[in-house]
Amino acid sequence: MAEKVTIAISKELYEKAKQFIEEQGGFNTVEELVEFLLQEALGTEEETPEMSKEDEEKVKERLRALGYI
Amino acid sequence: MTRRVFVLGLDSLPPSVLYTELGERYFPYISGLVAESQRYIMRSCHPPITVPAWMTMFTGKTPGELGVYGFRHRRPGEFSYYIVNSRSIRAETIWDWAGKRGLRVGLYGVPPTYPPKPVHGFMVTDFTTPGPEKPYTFPPWLRKELEAATGPTRFDIVYRSHDKSRVARELLQMLDNHLRQVEYLATRKQWDIFIHVEISVDRAHHAFWRYFDKTHPRYEHHPEYSKVVPEVYRRIDEWFEKLHRKLPRDTVIVIVSDHGIKAMKGAFLLNQWLIEQGYLKLKVDPAGLKPGTDLREDMVDWEHTIAWAWGGYYSRVFINLKGREKKGAVEPKYYEETLEQLRRDLEKIKGPSNEQWLNKAYRPAEIYPEVNGDPPDLMLYLDDLWWRPAGTLGWPTNYLEENDRGPDDAVHDWHGVYTVYDPEETLEKGNRGEIRIEKIRSHLEQIITQHK
Repeated sequence: MAEKVTIAISKELYEKAKQFIEEQGGFNTVEELVEFLLQEALGTEEETPEMSKEDEEKVKERLRALGYI
Repeated sequence: MTRRVFVLGLDSLPPSVLYTELGERYFPYISGLVAESQRYIMRSCHPPITVPAWMTMFTGKTPGELGVYGFRHRRPGEFSYYIVNSRSIRAETIWDWAGKRGLRVGLYGVPPTYPPKPVHGFMVTDFTTPGPEKPYTFPPWLRKELEAATGPTRFDIVYRSHDKSRVARELLQMLDNHLRQVEYLATRKQWDIFIHVEISVDRAHHAFWRYFDKTHPRYEHHPEYSKVVPEVYRRIDEWFEKLHRKLPRDTVIVIVSDHGIKAMKGAFLLNQWLIEQGYLKLKVDPAGLKPGTDLREDMVDWEHTIAWAWGGYYSRVFINLKGREKKGAVEPKYYEETLEQLRRDLEKIKGPSNEQWLNKAYRPAEIYPEVNGDPPDLMLYLDDLWWRPAGTLGWPTNYLEENDRGPDDAVHDWHGVYTVYDPEETLEKGNRGEIRIEKIRSHLEQIITQHK
């Protein structure tokens, strides 16, 4: 289990999230929902979109065709 | 209370269109706003090119400070190049600044924003995105929502083609796609600052300028092609009128471009010229090369080469400096003298009829307060940008009427537009002269934070 830290969010948003979970399910706690959404938004180390060599070649080809290079 | 701002970025729109009767004719609605706006002639950066110009505008940093001198760069000692992306922009942007103040931002098509970075709001990346299968939005789930509502995202077109009918069709499809997406985002999402950069304008200019600009040396009226640039303008104008009516009435509207556009007089084969002048030596016979051959590392006789160049809308020239390059031939003690001699020679290049050109070759330190990243030794503009420097080989002449990489009607120009329409009338209207592109960020920040 990864180490946890405490963060503060607005009460209003917390209540909204709590109600969302109660009505829609999917998560046991607001903490789980927040952790999941942050993970989705930021991506894991492996998922973080970087320019791969292949992507860079694709872009180079396009920039050549566009006349920038 | 901060002000809400919508920035409509029209890539390469020149003052000679927006601020003249052409603007009134083709942008009737936007022209009406411009007439009621605070208006500037926007002076672009060195070099006046999409990348780095938009980021210079939105960071307030010159390309030297950003360390971004174009799309491609070369690490010292390497012949090949790498492409910049959003990660290359380390300076704070106006959307970072706004996010830290709790303002929500919306970005669409600002180059280069791929790969997408987290913002306090949402973003859709730009034409440097490798493809629509890539994660190109923030938050990541926005992509599916956007595609479901507006169809697949079209990032760019290939316009350097002789099949102009296809180019026109694809261009208008791309424009409609962008306008649909921006309307969706601008009317359904929460934002305080929305920045939309529309690249279709630039693509229309490059592909169809000679059918539009009557002063173009190769101007031709064509029943179909001459309608394309006006049609792009018209669609944007009509779309914006509808969108503007849906935005809160106190929204400040900014119309801005990153550089201007003008007729391309031709392309000059710079590496061929360097060969003739003895600066560049090949191991192969240049006369035996096919027209359009790229300069390759294995082709060059490095021991006898002093300099080589990259083409584009401007040229970057590199000295084959010993200690820096793999097979450097110029001793460091001769660097200064070699560079200055080369500069003098480059600035003396004349036109095809021996006419005088206004060439300028700058050392990066002369034009930027700071020089970061991987700068070239010289940055060269031929005939005040009218002639495009080309890097390929194998041509029977150094002067081409057309570009070396396929048809292109236009080159970039130094001046773009910047206008601010404030419905609350807190800004003085009228012409305010010139504004440098790197000053726009602070001007926008003042507008956003001013109290009504």
